[in-house]
Amino acid sequence: MTTVLVPETATPAEVPSVTRRSSRPWRILGYAALGAAGVVVLLPFYWMVLSSLKTNNEVFTIPVRWITTDPVWSNYADIWSKSNMGAWLGNTVFLSAVVTLLQVATGSFAAYGFAKVHFPGRDVLFLAYIGTLAVPWQSYMVPQFVMMTKLQLTDSLWSIVALQAFGALGVFMMKQFYETVPDELLDAARIDGMSEYGIYRRIMLPLSVPALASLTLITAVTTWNDYMGPLIYLRSPDLWTIQIGLKSFISQYNAEYALIMTGSVLSVLPIVVVFLLGQRYFVEGIATTGLKG
Amino acid sequence: MTTMPVRRRRWRNTAVGLSFLLPNFIGFLILTLIPVGLLFYYAFTEWNVFGGATWTGLDNFRQMARDTTFWTALRNTLYYAAFHIPLTLGVSLGLALLLNRKLRGVAFFRTVAFFPYITSIVAVAQIWNMLFSPGYGPVNELLRWVGVDNPPGWTTSADWSMPAVILVGTWRDMGYYMLLFLAGLQTIPGQLYEAARVDGASAWQRFRAVTLPGLRPTTFFITVLLTIGSFKVFDLILVMTNGGPGQSTLVLAQYIFRKGFEENQFGYASAVSIVLFAICLVVTVVQFVVNKRRSS
Amino acid sequence: MKRSLAAVTALLLGLTGCSSGGDAEESGPVTLTLAGWSLATTPEFKTLADGFKSSHPDITVELKEYDAANYDTQMIADLAAGKAPDVYVQKNLKNFFTYQDGKQLVDVSDVAAKLGPEVGGVSAYQVDGKTWAIPYRADSWVLYYNKALFDKAGVKHPDGSWTWAEYATAAKELTTKLKAAGDKALGAYQHTWQSTDQGFALAQTAGASLESGDYSFLKPYYQTSLDLQAAGAQVSLGDATTNSLTYQAQFGKQSAAMMVMGTWYIATLLNQQAKGDADTFEWGIAPAPQLTKATTGTSATPVTFADPTGLGINPKISAKKIAAAKEFLAYAAGADAAKALAGIGVTPADNSSVADTIFSLKGAPGDDLSKFTFATHDTKPENPVSKYTAPLQNILKDLHTEVLSGTSPIDAAITKAQDRAKNEVLSK
Repeated sequence: MTTVLVPETATPAEVPSVTRRSSRPWRILGYAALGAAGVVVLLPFYWMVLSSLKTNNEVFTIPVRWITTDPVWSNYADIWSKSNMGAWLGNTVFLSAVVTLLQVATGSFAAYGFAKVHFPGRDVLFLAYIGTLAVPWQSYMVPQFVMMTKLQLTDSLWSIVALQAFGALGVFMMKQFYETVPDELLDAARIDGMSEYGIYRRIMLPLSVPALASLTLITAVTTWNDYMGPLIYLRSPDLWTIQIGLKSFISQYNAEYALIMTGSVLSVLPIVVVFLLGQRYFVEGIATTGLKG
Repeated sequence: MTTMPVRRRRWRNTAVGLSFLLPNFIGFLILTLIPVGLLFYYAFTEWNVFGGATWTGLDNFRQMARDTTFWTALRNTLYYAAFHIPLTLGVSLGLALLLNRKLRGVAFFRTVAFFPYITSIVAVAQIWNMLFSPGYGPVNELLRWVGVDNPPGWTTSADWSMPAVILVGTWRDMGYYMLLFLAGLQTIPGQLYEAARVDGASAWQRFRAVTLPGLRPTTFFITVLLTIGSFKVFDLILVMTNGGPGQSTLVLAQYIFRKGFEENQFGYASAVSIVLFAICLVVTVVQFVVNKRRSS
Repeated sequence: MKRSLAAVTALLLGLTGCSSGGDAEESGPVTLTLAGWSLATTPEFKTLADGFKSSHPDITVELKEYDAANYDTQMIADLAAGKAPDVYVQKNLKNFFTYQDGKQLVDVSDVAAKLGPEVGGVSAYQVDGKTWAIPYRADSWVLYYNKALFDKAGVKHPDGSWTWAEYATAAKELTTKLKAAGDKALGAYQHTWQSTDQGFALAQTAGASLESGDYSFLKPYYQTSLDLQAAGAQVSLGDATTNSLTYQAQFGKQSAAMMVMGTWYIATLLNQQAKGDADTFEWGIAPAPQLTKATTGTSATPVTFADPTGLGINPKISAKKIAAAKEFLAYAAGADAAKALAGIGVTPADNSSVADTIFSLKGAPGDDLSKFTFATHDTKPENPVSKYTAPLQNILKDLHTEVLSGTSPIDAAITKAQDRAKNEVLSK
């Protein structure tokens, strides 16, 4: 059965050969364009970093000052003593990890059912999944909260896990990617006597690594940056996530903008690391390019 | 196995299919589907969130028809979606193609493109508002420098606030959708490009004949997601303009929040949500049908 | 975590049950929960809880933290799910109606009946002849001014006789003269909130009301604001919002010589000056400028506005707890609590006798006008209680940005708001 899908090592798609052919001036121009675009994109982040090195009342001034001659490094020490940053980071890491794991696992599992197993009522059910994406959360927030209270889940980290882990996004996304896998491949495996679960585990999962990687990144970032969910569900300060902690920090120290920006910078860094690690899965084209037929 | 009676096989397929869905579906049903379903009941009631809801039939929808603010919010939402969707689609696809190469530093540029999405939205709003500041902001300084005498007031002007929000929305979302496109690009078999190249196809022809068709499931997914996301836009507007100046950037999602949590008319807010839901659904179904027709 | 909290409470209840025998239901220690926000920097809740404990050793008040900016969203969710605290704060009057109309408040008319006339803001919580919450703090809007900048410009300090015309003249004069003296500070700063125009207009104009659907009373106030913006004597609304200006920094870092703001800012300013977040300079408060001369001068009572902050009781709690909670409410509005609150710079509901306490705090002004301003005022509610208030205020919020951004002329914006009020709110 494995004969059909010996994954070839990556034949990097199209573009490398183009690069090989592009001449030097073009490449320099390309880098220049990328560099310029990078500056525009990074400007707000630069401002965040800069503000974190100012004193509070220097942050908002007219006109904006783009350099600071006298950086206030102490903000980075102060934030640890003035806030409960360590606990917030811990909670957020925990949530991001558990939610991502569950979302990716249950989402891709369900997606296989939607994409490759034919059964009556499938499309209606799938439409229900997409349909819920189209309803703004603030309109069903209260009924959901009441439901969660009945399940005794509020004010615990598990409420956020429950809230985020079973969303429709992962199912939708993975289904789309599974549909790109040719049915003939699966039929061949079925004829070889492989069960649907075996096909999912031994064919689909290895083939969908880039999709799994992007779902992982997106879920992790969404959980990391979620504000309204933790705001409604987590009340005890020792359960706060980084976003809600930062926001409460803003209302507590409403003029301490420099510290707020310090916190914002620190809150982004772990995500950057995760992204740098995860993005390489989009280059190597791990397995999909090995598909024959 | 192949001789299994049709009915039994169908039953077996259903059981197998459901077993795949179950782990996700249980959570989804209890925590999302049921609360969302309740909305369809509350939309026909007067409900103050604390007590029982009073059935009022179509009253909420009749009120909506007369409610000029609702229509303003709907118009603004359509305005936002009409520009934000194609713009973001184009930019993120472009970025994905550009960054799907083995360039030196590609990891860095990908991370940079993703930065707007991970930067705290409060910081995003503050910095862009500053950049757009009519009197002192760098955007207008630049415009004056290139010879625009009377640069726009951006978020402080009723005519320019929506374009400003659309620009920032695109800037923020492009990395997110780029990521999805990048994942989609990996599903296109490299042999197809090789074959096209052997046939002497130009880069543009290869893009039309290989990349676009290969990306179709991804593009469909992204378009649906982007459509829904644009119709539901909320946070960004809340922190950037709070719907102003006047009502120039008031969108439906924000109107729903106002009606519900600020004015305690949760029944009416539910009814507006249902309308928003219906619009998204219609657009999605159209995309679904178009996608089906194209791919067959 | 909630579970552990519940376990602790259960344990406590169990212990008390053992010690006081079978009548634990009738008497014995009670623990009340009280909602508060930003507990680390908002000491008033702890001050109330501690002060109450010392005179009522049997009743313990435990604090439950909420988010300051999203207090009402969180509270609405908690009340709907039946897990709200026993006593909760009415942060402003705009949402009070939601709770009162939604039957989420206990009738506390008996507590109100025992309060003296010196407790301000009680009437704001009365609906259908009953009182539904008891105020513990009653701020009011006043004019803060920077004495050093006035002296630098050589402009005469406010003396309590100002109408808005004199305020505008002074703002322009300050701007010009400060510029001449090489100082970039402007004459006035008007924060971005709609209340900076509308709160005064509603309070000071005879016969003005939100429910009338007639908003022509706003016009003179917006004319003053637009005039000051155009003259460059105050930062425009657009620049203030796009640059996220904070009023604390604008006045505290001496970017503006005058600012109308609520009395809650006194504690903030003292605190920031002590910590160095604000510059150290002499300042004072004067009565807010008036619409007409009739209410100016220290022999009259200046008219201003602000919503009181009150405490309400969650009706889902036991009769015994309700009785304890009522005692807590009576304490919070009374003279003892007033002293304790004034000691941390908070303006208590009973603020007739605490001016000395506030102004003896380090860094506070010592002049007579400041004391007069603090103690004498006719403070009208910013959000008169009615089912129409929240939607009407949202319409007027749109008007505020529309006018001050220069999108439409005042008259057109007022006509539009009146049409919207009639069609979307008042006709229902």
